[in-house]
Amino acid sequence: MSDHSELSGGEEELMTPAELISRLEEAWLNEKFSPELLENKSELVECVMEQLTHMEENLQRVRKGDLKASVHRMEIDRIRFVLSSFLRSRLKKIEKFFPHVLEKEKSRADGDPSFLSPEEFAFAKEYLANTEVYLRAVALKHMPPNLQSVDMMKAVPEPCLDSFVFLRVKEKQENILVEPETDEQREYVVDLDQGSQHIMR
Amino acid sequence: MDPAEVEFLAEKEMVKIIPNFSLDKIYLIGGDLGPFNPGLPVEVPVWLALNLKQRQKCRIVPPEWMDTDKLEDIREQERKLDTFTPIPNPYYMELTKLLLNHAADNIPKADEIRTLVKDIWDTRMAKLRLSADSFISQQEAHAQLDNLTLMEINTTRSFLLDSLNYMYKLRSNLQPGRSKDY
Repeated sequence: MSDHSELSGGEEELMTPAELISRLEEAWLNEKFSPELLENKSELVECVMEQLTHMEENLQRVRKGDLKASVHRMEIDRIRFVLSSFLRSRLKKIEKFFPHVLEKEKSRADGDPSFLSPEEFAFAKEYLANTEVYLRAVALKHMPPNLQSVDMMKAVPEPCLDSFVFLRVKEKQENILVEPETDEQREYVVDLDQGSQHIMR
Repeated sequence: MDPAEVEFLAEKEMVKIIPNFSLDKIYLIGGDLGPFNPGLPVEVPVWLALNLKQRQKCRIVPPEWMDTDKLEDIREQERKLDTFTPIPNPYYMELTKLLLNHAADNIPKADEIRTLVKDIWDTRMAKLRLSADSFISQQEAHAQLDNLTLMEINTTRSFLLDSLNYMYKLRSNLQPGRSKDY
């Protein structure tokens, strides 16, 4: 079948396909469990799509060896599941927090990496426009004239950055401040060792 | 997160099989799988092992930790200590279920192993419930849970995190000038 030595992942670094897949899985889990939309990983997505289409083309050409082809096809299905689940959780968050996402995108500096891919940006803008048209047609035009606008930023709840998460530590960090929950407690610091798991805010 | 997704992650673990067919090396995106020769053991991910077993093309070799003596020791250890003991494999529950469902004929004393793993699971879940209870009632802000597996965390994930979040919101609304819409 195809030869997998090194894959050029775009501008920064050379990664093996195995590393690419494990980074995709990590991004998938992070996106699933974090309360807000994380940074966009478009180069990761593109590389994985490239690998998948490459593998599928090979499979189309080589019809022999039923066992090999089915093993490759199973792996393609697994990777495709992770990729679509990742994109689906991003879209769900965009739908949930659309005005805040667009605001964040507008207010970032030019040099910063973007939060949304071009397609996601277009989706978010269309969603905003459609929601406005819908609200106008259904309710707002029947209201008295001075109530006919709605501020999307206030109308849609913003992501709760203070929610608790489970986390696993990849690099040792020291002196992380833990805020007190009640008035009687005082704040304290913890050190996070590599490989340990925690639950905190 | 669904239990099915945890099982998906568990299926990436490697397990030894003994194929009864021969095939040269396959180059998967996630890594290479060595040449298959009948009668010689080879390591493959669990999803592939189960598929081959269902097509009756291999025999699965149980992992080293799946042994009644070792599991009995772990169970005794778990019952004695109040904290969570380290366990041999982070996906022990899913692997036991998958391997015993599909390959029980390749695993000696399958029923005993099933009972032992269930006992270990029950003990750990009871400890988890107790510690979650004390976490909430003492209103702690942080806990370290090193030896918990993903499946165990997953069972209480939605309940624990949601209740902690709601309590935090209720508490922060009590303090003046801090109420926000989420």
